[in-house]
Amino acid sequence: MGMTGMMKAVLVLFAMAVLSLSQAFAVDITLSPPSNVETEDAPNDVGTQVWVRWDASLDDVELDQSSGRSLLGYAIYRKIDETGSGLESTAEMATNASELSFSANFDFQGVQPIGSVSYGRTQFLDENVENGMTYLYAVAATGPGDTFSPLAVADLPVTASMEYFNRGKLWFLLIMLAISGVIIGFVLYAKRGGIIKVRPIAGLEAVSEAVGRATEMGKPVLFVPGILDINDIQTVAGITVLANVAKTAAQYDAQLRVPTARSLVMTTARETVESAYLGEGRPDAYNEDNIYYLTDDQFGYTAGVQGVMVREEPAACFYMGAFYAESLILAETANSIGAIQIAGTAMPSQLPFFVAACDYTLIGEEFFAASAYLSNDPEQLGSLKGQDIGKIIAAGLLVVGCVLATIAVTNGSRGARIAELYIKDNILGADGLVPNANKVAEIDAAMESQSQQPLGKGGDS
Amino acid sequence: MDHPMSQIDPDQLKVILATDCGSTTTKAILIQYVDGEYRQTHRGEAPTTVEKPFANVTAGVLNSVSEIGELAGRRLVDDDGHIISPATETEGCDIYISTSSAGGGLQMMVAGVIAEMTAASAKRAALGAGSIVMDVIAANDGRRPHDQIQRIRDLRPDMILISGGTDGGTTDKVVQIAELIAPAKPQPRFGSSYEMPIIYAGNKEARDAVSNVFNEDGFDLQIVDNLRPVLERENLGPARDKIHDIFLEHVMAQAPGYEQLMEWTGAPIMPTPGAVGDILQTVARLQGINVVGVDIGGATTDVFSVFDDTFNRTVSANLGMSYSISNVCAEATMANVLRWVPFDMDERELRNHVKNKMIRPTTIPQTREALMFEQAVAREALRLAYKQHKEFATTLKGVQQQRTVGDTFSQETGGMTIVDNMKLDLLVASGGVLSHAPRMHQTAMLLIDAFEPEGITMLAKDSIFMMPHLGVLASVHPQAAEQVFERDCLVYLGTCVCAKGTPKPGKTCFKYQLSGDCTESGEIAGGELKLINMGMDDHATISVTPARGIDLGNGPGKKVEGKVRGGSVGLILDGRGRPLSLPEERAACQKTVQGWLDSLDVYQEDNEDKSTEPAGA
Amino acid sequence: MAKSYTPGLLVTRHKKHRCMRRLPIAGDVRVSVGDRVSADDVVAETALPGDVNPVNLSNQMSLPPKDVVACMLKQEGEPIAKDEPLAQTKGIFGMFKTTVNSRFEGTVETVSPVTGQVIIRGAPLPVQVRAYIGGEVVSVSEHEGCEVEADIAYMQGIFGVGGETHGPIMVACDSNDQVVTPDLITADMKGAVIIGGARITVEAIKKAQSIGAAAIISGGLDDEDLKSLLGYDLGVAITGRENLGITVIVSEGFGDIAMAERTFAMLKEHDGHEASVNGATQIRAGVMRPEVIIPLSEVPASERDADSESGELAIGRTLRVIRDPWFGMIGEVSALPAEPHVLGSGSKARVLEVKFPSGEMAIVPRANVELIWE
Repeated sequence: MGMTGMMKAVLVLFAMAVLSLSQAFAVDITLSPPSNVETEDAPNDVGTQVWVRWDASLDDVELDQSSGRSLLGYAIYRKIDETGSGLESTAEMATNASELSFSANFDFQGVQPIGSVSYGRTQFLDENVENGMTYLYAVAATGPGDTFSPLAVADLPVTASMEYFNRGKLWFLLIMLAISGVIIGFVLYAKRGGIIKVRPIAGLEAVSEAVGRATEMGKPVLFVPGILDINDIQTVAGITVLANVAKTAAQYDAQLRVPTARSLVMTTARETVESAYLGEGRPDAYNEDNIYYLTDDQFGYTAGVQGVMVREEPAACFYMGAFYAESLILAETANSIGAIQIAGTAMPSQLPFFVAACDYTLIGEEFFAASAYLSNDPEQLGSLKGQDIGKIIAAGLLVVGCVLATIAVTNGSRGARIAELYIKDNILGADGLVPNANKVAEIDAAMESQSQQPLGKGGDS
Repeated sequence: MDHPMSQIDPDQLKVILATDCGSTTTKAILIQYVDGEYRQTHRGEAPTTVEKPFANVTAGVLNSVSEIGELAGRRLVDDDGHIISPATETEGCDIYISTSSAGGGLQMMVAGVIAEMTAASAKRAALGAGSIVMDVIAANDGRRPHDQIQRIRDLRPDMILISGGTDGGTTDKVVQIAELIAPAKPQPRFGSSYEMPIIYAGNKEARDAVSNVFNEDGFDLQIVDNLRPVLERENLGPARDKIHDIFLEHVMAQAPGYEQLMEWTGAPIMPTPGAVGDILQTVARLQGINVVGVDIGGATTDVFSVFDDTFNRTVSANLGMSYSISNVCAEATMANVLRWVPFDMDERELRNHVKNKMIRPTTIPQTREALMFEQAVAREALRLAYKQHKEFATTLKGVQQQRTVGDTFSQETGGMTIVDNMKLDLLVASGGVLSHAPRMHQTAMLLIDAFEPEGITMLAKDSIFMMPHLGVLASVHPQAAEQVFERDCLVYLGTCVCAKGTPKPGKTCFKYQLSGDCTESGEIAGGELKLINMGMDDHATISVTPARGIDLGNGPGKKVEGKVRGGSVGLILDGRGRPLSLPEERAACQKTVQGWLDSLDVYQEDNEDKSTEPAGA
Repeated sequence: MAKSYTPGLLVTRHKKHRCMRRLPIAGDVRVSVGDRVSADDVVAETALPGDVNPVNLSNQMSLPPKDVVACMLKQEGEPIAKDEPLAQTKGIFGMFKTTVNSRFEGTVETVSPVTGQVIIRGAPLPVQVRAYIGGEVVSVSEHEGCEVEADIAYMQGIFGVGGETHGPIMVACDSNDQVVTPDLITADMKGAVIIGGARITVEAIKKAQSIGAAAIISGGLDDEDLKSLLGYDLGVAITGRENLGITVIVSEGFGDIAMAERTFAMLKEHDGHEASVNGATQIRAGVMRPEVIIPLSEVPASERDADSESGELAIGRTLRVIRDPWFGMIGEVSALPAEPHVLGSGSKARVLEVKFPSGEMAIVPRANVELIWE
């Protein structure tokens, strides 16, 4: 009851103010104002957002076809308590008000609203506030031809504040903890001597075969680390495979050639190959001139590599890294000289070419898993396994979500709809652990209207 | 040695005499053309006489042949101590043939550039020719050069096969290998006057360089065609033939009495395992079947396989029942051996028994428990040997693969095994522990447990180890060899029908229906083993309907029809699933194994001889 | 066919023995034909190049490779012993330094600023071949080796581990059936060839090892003990290269079993004499049994040669059962049935009846016995 009393008082106050203002500035204060303006600090943010909500103005209705609407939208105004006075909009009248308030004769023309929404909407998210500041909001209805309603001022000022935890994304935290836990668990398991089985990757198993072939045939091994620089993750993965190829080449005493398209890749490749040779006790067999830079130019490089292929006829060619249009050019050339080819790339557009033209191809994930696979290092194997579990969770959610969404649409049961909502907005969205009551209510409402439609009834209970 | 092989008219051969000079016994058999077919009619045995004091292999041969002569009432040896040939109505034979593994058989060392490629091909050539491969030297075998040299010196091979490089391929690696062998000066087993035969079957462009390396005293270099002219193709024939030639000319010639023996024979003397391989290949070719043969000895286990006309032989050097018994227990682990034993045994004592058998290889098990333990060891030895065989019998490595986009997720590497138990038709067992088991059921059970055949597989054993004789005969008269193999050499144990997959215990694994000499139908539950009596000459058609996920040859759940034959054991229906798995827990495992043994009546309970029971035991 | 199996182990009071001494790779032979050598004399020698041992210091000290050079305590070309500090980090204000000790002995060959890897080259490995037995050099093959000949008393064991060694014979047991326990091994047996009686316990071997005995010879050994001694399960009976610091030879077999009386007596006769011992065993074609060689200062004139354990099976002969269930028991042949007998295992074999000293009788396959000499 107090509320309505207070509201009435405010309304009277505004009506008076509007009346007085309307004369001074050519603005028609004819619309009825929105009511119950409430403000709320947006939850789970860094303190830069404030929600403003209100009840629609009585004029926020469609009249008839000809005359259109008298209310087109709402304008939102705010005051900041920085100095305890003044709106931050331009041309604002100076007041001496020491407390946060809007002047009675508000200048609708002179003051720019901080935002506006169209009719029918009753909330606004101010995304332009500062953490820790206190704001007072007011809303006015606007109509065609500079018609306004009196300002409806929020009861209480609001202070924008930052939350340390975004509780809306608790699910995100939980999933992350679960996956991290699984990864750490598997790493510890592997370190304690647990056996983690990795599916044999034919392409990597075949490295020794390819290098062996080169040795038997007295031909070199060619390794192409892609055309991108070392900052590309595919190049890094390629260098990991190179370490293994170099190790095998050192064991078999085969010649290894690595033409590169980037100078940094050349340096990295040299160090990698040298340490591989050292590790095999064959430092004497390492020749850094066999790892060289050709050119940064994509097709210049391709032509250069092709030249090497045609002249030296390597018996084994490796393509490990990022490739573009040159993929098929290289693979076909090497195929024509009868080399065993092993490719590895995460470029979806180039994979079909490699698969068709090469003996073995590492596809995307396989390529990145190569380092764990080759090193047999428990930490890497454990994290590989953990990541797989993460992928299984993601794929599972995807499947469950799809199934629920399908059920929700075809069958429309409340449970399915809420479950779908839960996956979409809680687990994957930002609604936190419990479903948003409003959204549940919406579903309930929708279902109700559906169930009652056939009976031709309306209204609520 | 000139053999009159080309002059032999197979149709004129009515009386065939064959011997196999083993390291301890010389076995002779007589094959005669009786009533329109070749039959093995008589056999004789005598100790081999390669060692002192006789030091002449022919003495043993004549002893064994004389024994046959007495049994057959046919004079085979004349007064001068020669085998009488050609035959007349009452005396002599039309042809005399022989194999030999006396003095440890043919021992070889092979070398190649890459262990999985040319060195593997060289090993295949050597094994196929019937030799024991003592070691494989390769550029990538992980040993440092001085270790390799030391190894070459320690070995005393009869000959060395060097391969490496494709034609036009690497030259320096091949020469490097040669340069390891030449200074190591491997010492032959026989006499210092013997020049070490070296067969070079590598890159043809490296021939000169290799000749230069061995261009010194003590080596006898022979050059043949590259056994891997390109990585995509093996050409083992020339190297194999050369090995046989050298075996005759050099190795045999060094052994006492062999020169004389070679004059008597109508076909080249073959190394025993090589002859076994030949008969299996002949039979597989003539009958169009896939065959696996196994010969388990005291020190080694030989496995032969012919799948789709591709022959492979492996020798598992350290898997055997006496000299190597301790290694079987170590390699398979005692726990794996004991899972086949359905009672508790004291491990400490067992370990001493095993080691004592190793250092005193000729002892035999006296009690049933000892026999069961020995057969458990045999299962593991055979299982490991077959595993090694599968790993060796592969497609070629280092070969380019042809791909389509369809292969994206199913890329297979080269070097996959060609041994497929589902395609196996005949499993032949030989060797003491298998052929001299007190009950045939034990042999059959051993074979099934160790080899885990799938689908319909015939089981047989070589009755008196006649396969070597028939192998040589196959080179002269394949049909005769096959006839004798089928009628006299093999003792059919029966047929096993085994389900592949993981059947649910107690639930139906497959349904079967028999028609023919035996009519019966029923179903086999998961984990069940059933023996159906079918006599030696019984043949039947079986129709099997497996449960979902169970494969008997036509794919999971698909119905299979096939022919089965009986034997001294019968028809064995195996619903235990493949791969065979035993319970981890000891008590449960004992119960399961006892159940299996009972259902096949493997060890009869009533043959206990009380007098051999230890007092107070 | 009444032939019993004997492993053909030779135990003799006198024989002329020739022994080939050969280098693994070509080298220098230090003796010439006619030289008298003693067991310890080097007859031939050569050197193998040292091993290359890479050490990744960059990883071990968590330093960028280029900083490794500055942290080296040993520079290129300097020799380093095993466990000697190789490099040390600068630390923080002189504290929290990390020191890396060398795991290898050798010379610092290179320090790579690119990979942070240090290569330590081991010393050239001298390979020396000693005479092994005292005797006379009877032949020399240049750069390869020589042959030494001597008059010796000789004993072959059935199984051994460890390689060639030599020392004076010291008898630790009073009888051939006494178990060798650690208390029988005394400190004065350092360098000696210890002669035991029956089974040797692993504790006794370990004690002998610790006091530095050259070899220990006895009747039997438990396989469990062999495994704990070697650290692995011996698979194939090819031994001789174990690095135990002691050579162990058993004369009869595995388990609780006494040394043959005759063997024990012969070894006891030579108490205090120098003996050469080799545990190398190879049971296969080209059988090699472990051996004890006792060079004789004077050749006994009338001693019978070569009385190895062999002979005909006859009623009354003493034999030992060499397979369970009566393994190791000694008895007398009481009957030799001609017909094969069905054994408990179900197989048929030729057997004999044996009477044990306790009066108990047993039927044993002929393959499972060996004759022994009194």
